[in-house]
Amino acid sequence: MGDDRRQILDLLAGGKITADEAERLILAVEKSAAGSGAAASEPGGTATGTTPRPKYLRVLVEGDEQITGMKGGTTVNVRVPMRLLRAGVRLAGLIPVQAHQQLDQAFTQHGVPITLSQIKPENLEEIIDQLDDLTVDVDGKDGNPMKVRVFCE
Amino acid sequence: MIPWGASVRVHWNRGTPREHRLGLWVPLFLVWLILLPLLLVLFPLIALGCVFIGVDAVELYETAWRIVSSLPRTWVEVKTGEFWVWVHLA
Repeated sequence: MGDDRRQILDLLAGGKITADEAERLILAVEKSAAGSGAAASEPGGTATGTTPRPKYLRVLVEGDEQITGMKGGTTVNVRVPMRLLRAGVRLAGLIPVQAHQQLDQAFTQHGVPITLSQIKPENLEEIIDQLDDLTVDVDGKDGNPMKVRVFCE
Repeated sequence: MIPWGASVRVHWNRGTPREHRLGLWVPLFLVWLILLPLLLVLFPLIALGCVFIGVDAVELYETAWRIVSSLPRTWVEVKTGEFWVWVHLA
């Protein structure tokens, strides 16, 4: 067992960190170890051992005349830097506490049971980090030719 | 870096002999220069408002700056049968 893991388990045993924190730390250690191994084996590996991270989120929407009412097919193509998403999620941390309850109620009414006070900026950062591998393809059915594609590049 | 300019390209009557093309470079730095005095006046007022509603003004300014400085290299393209509009922040 590595020294890092032993230290984490010691911290857990000493009650200095929670089980959840210990799990995250161990995962981070494993990820770091795997990354350094990959960097050593791959000539093109980066200094941190990870593949180049996507820089942009792309959203493509295609619709035809029936949907848009405009002549010919319509395509909307948006490219947003991931940095902008990261900055944007920080806005959630600026929502006044007194507005949380109203927002929670509104979310629940619309079928999204979210408690805003439980969402921390670091949680949102994790979501953004996981977007790297995101690809969403939506094709219309039953004669609806709308296509939506969301991916990172 | 905040966006200093925006490239706007518009094509209309696409695919016809009468197709028109227009390309513009919008100097956003002039907009920032014009807005700067207004922002300097507004900053204390916004900070005061933040105190009332319980929002950290410094964090608000920092987030706003991050958002504006992340805008470069954003682009939006809209293409229809006749029109093509492309906006790119640089």
